[in-house]
Amino acid sequence: MMMIDRRGMLALGAWAAATSKAFAQGPMPEHERVLYEAAKREGEITWYSGQYSAEASEAAGRAFNERYPGVRCNVVRSTSQVAFQRLSQDLRAGVAQCDILSSTNGGHYVQLKRQNRLMQFRPKNADGLLPILRVADPDNFYQSSVLGIYLLAHNTRLVSEADAPKSWKDVLDPKWKDKLAVGHPGFSGAIGLWAMEMRRLYGWDYFKQLELNKPQIGRSSIDPVTTMNAGERGVGVAVPSASTLFSISRGNPLKLIYPEEGVVAALSPSAIIRNAPHPNAAKLFMEFQTGVGLSTAVRLLFNESIRPDVPPPDGSRPLDQVKMLAPSIEDAEKGVPEVRDAWRETFGI
Amino acid sequence: MLEPVTLLWLLLVAALIFLIAAPLLKMLLISFEEQETGDFTLMNYATAYGRQRYLDALRNSLLLGLLSATISTIIAVPMAWAVSRTDMPGKGFTWAMVLAAFVMPPYLGAIGWILLAGPNAGWINQVWRAVTGAQDPLMNVYTFSGMAFVIALHSFPLVFIFVKSALDLISSEMEDAANIMGAGTWTTMRKVTLPLVWPSILGGFILIFLETIALFGTPAIIGIPARVNVVTTQLWQFFEDPVRVEVAAAYAIPLLLITICLIGVQKLLLSRKGFVSQTGKGGERRQIKLGPWRWVLFAWCFGVALLAVVKPLLVLLQASFAKAWGRGLSLDNLTFRNYRMLLFEHDMALQSVWNTIWFSAASASLALILALLVAYIVVRKLFRFADGLAFLAMAPFVIPGIVLAIGFYAAYAGPPLMLYGSALLIILAFSARFLPIAYANAQASIRALHPEMEEAARILGSGRLQTIRRITAPLLKTSLLGGWLIVFIVASRELSAAIFLVGPRTRTMSVLLYDLSEQGNFELVSAFGGILLVITMVFVGIGMKLVGRDFMLRRD
Repeated sequence: MMMIDRRGMLALGAWAAATSKAFAQGPMPEHERVLYEAAKREGEITWYSGQYSAEASEAAGRAFNERYPGVRCNVVRSTSQVAFQRLSQDLRAGVAQCDILSSTNGGHYVQLKRQNRLMQFRPKNADGLLPILRVADPDNFYQSSVLGIYLLAHNTRLVSEADAPKSWKDVLDPKWKDKLAVGHPGFSGAIGLWAMEMRRLYGWDYFKQLELNKPQIGRSSIDPVTTMNAGERGVGVAVPSASTLFSISRGNPLKLIYPEEGVVAALSPSAIIRNAPHPNAAKLFMEFQTGVGLSTAVRLLFNESIRPDVPPPDGSRPLDQVKMLAPSIEDAEKGVPEVRDAWRETFGI
Repeated sequence: MLEPVTLLWLLLVAALIFLIAAPLLKMLLISFEEQETGDFTLMNYATAYGRQRYLDALRNSLLLGLLSATISTIIAVPMAWAVSRTDMPGKGFTWAMVLAAFVMPPYLGAIGWILLAGPNAGWINQVWRAVTGAQDPLMNVYTFSGMAFVIALHSFPLVFIFVKSALDLISSEMEDAANIMGAGTWTTMRKVTLPLVWPSILGGFILIFLETIALFGTPAIIGIPARVNVVTTQLWQFFEDPVRVEVAAAYAIPLLLITICLIGVQKLLLSRKGFVSQTGKGGERRQIKLGPWRWVLFAWCFGVALLAVVKPLLVLLQASFAKAWGRGLSLDNLTFRNYRMLLFEHDMALQSVWNTIWFSAASASLALILALLVAYIVVRKLFRFADGLAFLAMAPFVIPGIVLAIGFYAAYAGPPLMLYGSALLIILAFSARFLPIAYANAQASIRALHPEMEEAARILGSGRLQTIRRITAPLLKTSLLGGWLIVFIVASRELSAAIFLVGPRTRTMSVLLYDLSEQGNFELVSAFGGILLVITMVFVGIGMKLVGRDFMLRRD
């Protein structure tokens, strides 16, 4: 469930303010201006956010407020599951509160789309996204708004760079027994995607062999980062680059490893709810998310930029130089529950 | 004519129905509903109990509850006896440590213990290896017993507080009587003192059992790496996509049956025995002189304090002042940045501090007023079916916070009440969730109060309500303040109910702590935990001062 959210909170005042100020004062293209005028009459927008951390969500909300004065963004941040649960309850009770849902669980959108609860809208700014993010849904019911990168990392005090694993396959070597840490697909959607990709590359046998090395299983994909910081385990498997970079920025002895097979990329979209109480403001927010505004705000907290014209967070490789393994939302909806169940059989938890 | 007390009784019934019965009923109903259609079905139950893994989780929870409650009782009863009845040194220290163990949120303690007893990097195990040259760790927190132990270290204060306040009320005359008949200190304690506080021990044991099986944080943090699945982590799985609230409800409902059984057992064990120790006839309380044994008892209290408070706190303290906790203790790793960030730069930290304080205070007041009235009616048997009220008041304890929160959300967030995102929703949910603590506290206090004192007032012409106000309430003041503090403290660290009900402006410290811990930012988590502890300790300090002054008055 937890996928891309959680990130650090280095929103160091001056820097963030300067960058967002530059963005806030930049020229507004015509399509945004028209939406902005209409949105001003609605006055606000309510965003159920489960994708970015609380801090990054608040930072994005602030950036939106500065760019479009008179339209207030109400950030309702929770885990994706809770956000979806809340939305489902709203819909069941016939209450229209939520304008935009941002969940890390692609299945939520597939389900909502099937129930005809989403509004069709393609933001113009989506054309400037990274190529793999441009078309999240051919019918345009939802649009990419976040990209998470999952890879290997090691504690440099416990494992030297020369010894460190180079590929996903390497961690199956018996020399890593009791030295690995990993998240849980029941708690982290990203771990589910990673497990799907490993199953596709090496078959389920990969996990049976992994279990022989007795990895320490946490919940979120970030738990292994914490475990490595504490020195409990030396190698983190399928850790988010953002949290690892944040930990490194604090001086923890960690290092990212880009596996030879490629990093796992988790893409998640956002969607406007059909009965959104502020439809124009919602559309404006979609333009904001796919435009430079969101990427500029969240990269300061080590989240990936989803546009090529906004640089990646400090310390990471630009995404056009990295091989990415990215399951589609439809595949994920079917595959994640499968690997979750198989995981519980193999690991007993 | 409608007596005021009858009106009150009706109001009370309505309040309990609103707070507890309605959300529970909603849950019961959906447990028999098909997800999309709402048609009647038994399939949810078949799904909820159809797999060995699910049944194992249920068994694990029951075992974990029993083990934690047993360890807690073993830890706490000697401490309570020592502090209340003997001349053991360091009572102030022991009190402070018990309260510190209590106010420390369990998930914070669990994180501390992972740092202490992680098999590879835990401090205890590193020292052990360095000293003995052994390969295997001394302690491994990632085990079933390790988890039970960590839970017990943060729940034993419930037993301690219950037992101690009961012991405080027993006058030394009863012990003197035993002494005169030739019983020694040990025999007197075993045969006279402890049996008199048996209801409190049992009450504490049951509460810890119930609290443990409803705990989410510690099983998630320790249980998953330990590969131990319990009911709450299993419930979490039912909330995975596709959300199966109906199945979760079906899985949670038998826990209510366990509560009914436990209350039944409690009644059975306590029936036909007298525990009245406060008679209004005065009586003296003297400390028992233990001689050298008092140092043995102190060593016990000190050891518990070390494990429950000092060690985890030191580890967390180190992390809270560290730039990066992975770098360990060194001067160039020291910083105040974490605290400065939270106090002056963070968007939500201070707001959440304020939310926590006033939500907790409001919930504690509401819960205590309700609990007092219900307990009075139940203990004095003022109406038929009073036991039904008792059951309602105790029921929320077995509902995992997250399920209660969903019941509340389903019942009150939408129309007609539209409480979503409001402080009231959280306060109501907290009041309902912690009513059992307030109730157990109020009930034990009233049970110890002989009706003669009220009867005297009634005979002299006072009405029932006036009697409560003028006689009963003042007599109970001290123990009620204790009850209020307990609810305040547990509410201030409550996580599982809060996480589902908070809106953008109603986030509490525990939710923010959990958010921060998910982000792997443990330096900040530790610092924020430190702030939470300081705030709670201030409130506890104020309360203890008041309670203490009251004790003095009574002795005069």
